[in-house]
Amino acid sequence: MDDIEAELGISRSVGNEDFSDSSEDERVARKIRPPILLHSSTAQARAKESGFHESSRLCLKAIRDAMLHHHWQEAAQYLSAYSQTLEDTTVNKQSLACEIIWRLGTEILQHHPNSRLEDFNALYEQMKNSGVKNYAKICLEHSFHLLLNGHIYDAKRQLSVAASWRYGKQSVPQSLDLKLIHAYCGFLDYVIWHMKKSSVSEAEDNSSNREMHSYFRQASVTLQEIIAQPGVWDPFVLSYVDMLEFYNDQEEALKVLQNYAYNKDYPSNPNAHVYLYQFLKRHEAPPAKLISILKVLHHLVPSHELMQEYCYLLVNSVVPGHLEESLPVVFNLLDYPSWKNDLDTWNCLLTVMTVFKRKGLQHLIANEWKQRKDFWLTMHYRAYHGRKDSELNRELLLVKAKVAKLLGEHGKPDHFFKYKLLIIFIFLMF
Amino acid sequence: MPYCLICVCVCVWCVCVCVCVCVCVCVCVCVCVCVCVCSQEGYSEPCKQCGAVSWALSDGCQFFCRNCHNVIEKTQDVVDVSSFILNNKISSISSSSRKKTRREGGREWMVCEGFQFILKLQAEALVGLGVCPQFKTDVLWDFWKRYLQITRQAYTRSPVNSFTNTVYLSSESEPESAFLSEASDQTEPMSASGHSTDGRSSVCSGSLDAACYLSAKERKSRQLMNMPRTLALCHLALLWLREAITLADLLRLVSRRLIPYINVYEEFPEEMQFYGRDAIIFRVETIPSYRKVHGEALQMAEILQLPAFPPVTSDCLLHPALLSLRYLMEVNLPDELHSLVCRVIEKSAMGKESFLTFNPSKPKSTFLFYDLQAAALIIVTMKLLFKLDDHVEWTLSRKAVKKDDQGKKKTSKQGSKMFSLKAWYMTVHPALERARQREELFEARRPWKSKKVLIPAMKHKAVVLKRRRVVEQLQSSFHTLTGSVPEQQSSSPSSFQFLWGQEEDSDGPSLHHKRLNCMLEKRGKEKWLVNQAYWHTDLKRCHKKDCRDHYSELKHSLPRMYVWLLGLFSFLLRVSEAQVHKEVVEVERRLLLRKAVPEEDNHKHRKRKGRKTSSSF
Repeated sequence: MDDIEAELGISRSVGNEDFSDSSEDERVARKIRPPILLHSSTAQARAKESGFHESSRLCLKAIRDAMLHHHWQEAAQYLSAYSQTLEDTTVNKQSLACEIIWRLGTEILQHHPNSRLEDFNALYEQMKNSGVKNYAKICLEHSFHLLLNGHIYDAKRQLSVAASWRYGKQSVPQSLDLKLIHAYCGFLDYVIWHMKKSSVSEAEDNSSNREMHSYFRQASVTLQEIIAQPGVWDPFVLSYVDMLEFYNDQEEALKVLQNYAYNKDYPSNPNAHVYLYQFLKRHEAPPAKLISILKVLHHLVPSHELMQEYCYLLVNSVVPGHLEESLPVVFNLLDYPSWKNDLDTWNCLLTVMTVFKRKGLQHLIANEWKQRKDFWLTMHYRAYHGRKDSELNRELLLVKAKVAKLLGEHGKPDHFFKYKLLIIFIFLMF
Repeated sequence: MPYCLICVCVCVWCVCVCVCVCVCVCVCVCVCVCVCVCSQEGYSEPCKQCGAVSWALSDGCQFFCRNCHNVIEKTQDVVDVSSFILNNKISSISSSSRKKTRREGGREWMVCEGFQFILKLQAEALVGLGVCPQFKTDVLWDFWKRYLQITRQAYTRSPVNSFTNTVYLSSESEPESAFLSEASDQTEPMSASGHSTDGRSSVCSGSLDAACYLSAKERKSRQLMNMPRTLALCHLALLWLREAITLADLLRLVSRRLIPYINVYEEFPEEMQFYGRDAIIFRVETIPSYRKVHGEALQMAEILQLPAFPPVTSDCLLHPALLSLRYLMEVNLPDELHSLVCRVIEKSAMGKESFLTFNPSKPKSTFLFYDLQAAALIIVTMKLLFKLDDHVEWTLSRKAVKKDDQGKKKTSKQGSKMFSLKAWYMTVHPALERARQREELFEARRPWKSKKVLIPAMKHKAVVLKRRRVVEQLQSSFHTLTGSVPEQQSSSPSSFQFLWGQEEDSDGPSLHHKRLNCMLEKRGKEKWLVNQAYWHTDLKRCHKKDCRDHYSELKHSLPRMYVWLLGLFSFLLRVSEAQVHKEVVEVERRLLLRKAVPEEDNHKHRKRKGRKTSSSF
């Protein structure tokens, strides 16, 4: 709980998701080249370029045009011609060409009607080995591609090959890639474990059971190691927790989730709190604990879908003061257009407001209303909205009308005049 | 210390081995440029025994049949080398020094031999395209021999030893006596080749003297060959023969691969081992520009100390009158325009032989851009006719259409007869844009890298070979993906890039037979141009040293139509717009300033001048 301020502080300082501290972030960011338009160049540069470079520039332009027009056949033709840039005698252009061919080539294969998985494999293998700088990245992408096509074991093999690969001195981006490769290695172990688990439960087989446990051990070691480093590790955390839960190690799971949510070194991550909440809810934790988690989440993401649950928890809570907190939560939720037409949210608001009215806390409603009067009227209560609601969701219209009635007690009644008129009209019609 | 040797030499020109006796003067490592005459050309009677025409020279200068080894009575005539190589004593042919290297089948070779081989291929290609056979046997060959003699690479009593500056590591301990030079004061023993099989060499090259081609200083002082110079020599030889292939055509043929230039080293015979530094000399990553080859040709003409070229007469295809006719056809302008162009040629005195003929021996002779000049003449004529100021030409074409309509009512429905610039523009512009697009895509697909791998250094060999393999795999995999063969443009060696007429694949309707009546009006007995005004940019010569052209500054103030026309010709001739503009100014200078007094000292770039004297036709 006391971490909220720190949490918010972090969220302000670390805008982008990255795995390391901010100073390293900056260094990495500085290393990343600004986007250059490779296919166009200044007239001055053009006068000096050789025919070969001119050809490759024009070819890249032709590929780009073909791709933009979804002419994959044509793009493949030009890429075949472009591959000669790999033989460029300047080292810079050579490595650039490698990356271009890798990225464009996979993109073209992705969309080309005749491409097969073997083509992908061949391209990845060739590009991996011709520009060693991108080896790790290409390996990772290759295994993603295999995963997408359901070749989990092949993907796993790719990753383990990549994990053991070393070339020269490790640079910063390279070590990041290797970290990711390591993480996905563990994740794939988990996926295999999961598959084994579902097959084992059907047929009680000792040997396959043992195999499954060995995968668990591998996965848990890797994942534990990865999760211990600050960063955003959502799928890895989830899989690790899943395994721990399977082996009934709730304590460890809770520890992991709490660390993931509250550790100051980690970048701010709303999902961390969501996972913790879901875990606790699964294991029937007391509402006070749940409320404390959701309170942090509310600060981070006021429009989160869990806010309705939070609201009901607050309303039903016996702790004094909780009830009062519930009203701003639901009002906040409706400030966001994504919840504008959501019946449940409006119902929630209606419930909360009736409870408040019953308990004689109308002044709080008036307070909230005063802040929002101007934009709520245009956002929720225009004749247009009424018409639209009547077409799509009559129930919503009714609930909104009821809320309007309650709100109308605090403002001038003519605020909702048009809206009410419309409602009456609509109800008379049907 | 002259002595006689029997030597075996392999001629790069005709790739035949011949054994001949020659007097060698100061043999160190001699440049061996064989002066054997190709057997077929020397003696072309069929063999009495087997009937084949395949003669070779024996060491006694006797002809023998390669087919049945029948030796005949005839001996080789004294070779009439050339009419203008005066000092043509065969002086430095020696191959006693030439020996097989330790590499299997490899032979020592000099860089100039490589160039000789390339020139031979280019000459053969040109002859195959229809240039007269003399081109190869006489003109280009003589130019080349003369070049070797003048730069003292061969045919000389005192050849410049190109090895003095190179350090060759000996891969064998025994000094080779043949390489111990008597003439040069070389002290260290040298090995035969730059490379060694065990890879201990420092200078890595297949040829013997690649190293001296790499230093810019030496290249300049000894006027060594380079790849653009092969084209320059071809251009000079074509000019000497007054062939119809202009420089722009030559470069287009090179670009279309009809003349070997890119990766020509692929064709080198097996025994000329090619790697290392040779790559830098022979590798081509760009087709030289028009300006570059022209400059090199001028330089070569100076180096060769050529006499005056054969005169460019009015029946010669390089004459502006004929060349401009060709370009008029190419850009779909009416034939009637040709007589006007001829008037401009006459007025500017550009049809004279003395003006057109290139004479390097005269100090102030200019080396003309024949094709550019013809294009410029057409542009100037167009300016005279239509003014091309984005205004007059459109008014005139409206008038032409109107007149056409009137004519139609009177006569039959034969379609329009009058030439309208607007109609012409509407026909040519889309065709030009299409051609530009086509050209760009052709350029994008152009293969530059050779299948034969160039190995810059032994230590990179594995990497280079691997890279080549990857490229080949990529190409084949993407190729199978596309399924069809990428249609390369049919490379028919046509001198025209556009096709006008009714055919299916033509670029548009032909306007060659349209009349220009609307542009001329009768006043008295003479016909006058309707358009009375003429504009031009500043004709004063800029004497700044580094000044090339002012086109980039001017471009935005020039009329669009004029710029478009420059663009059209710059596309056709593959030169920059600035260069065409420069040539236009040159023609205008001759036309307007030749006899005229420069009446106004004008600082404006564009000035208007009424043309009364020369507008009557």
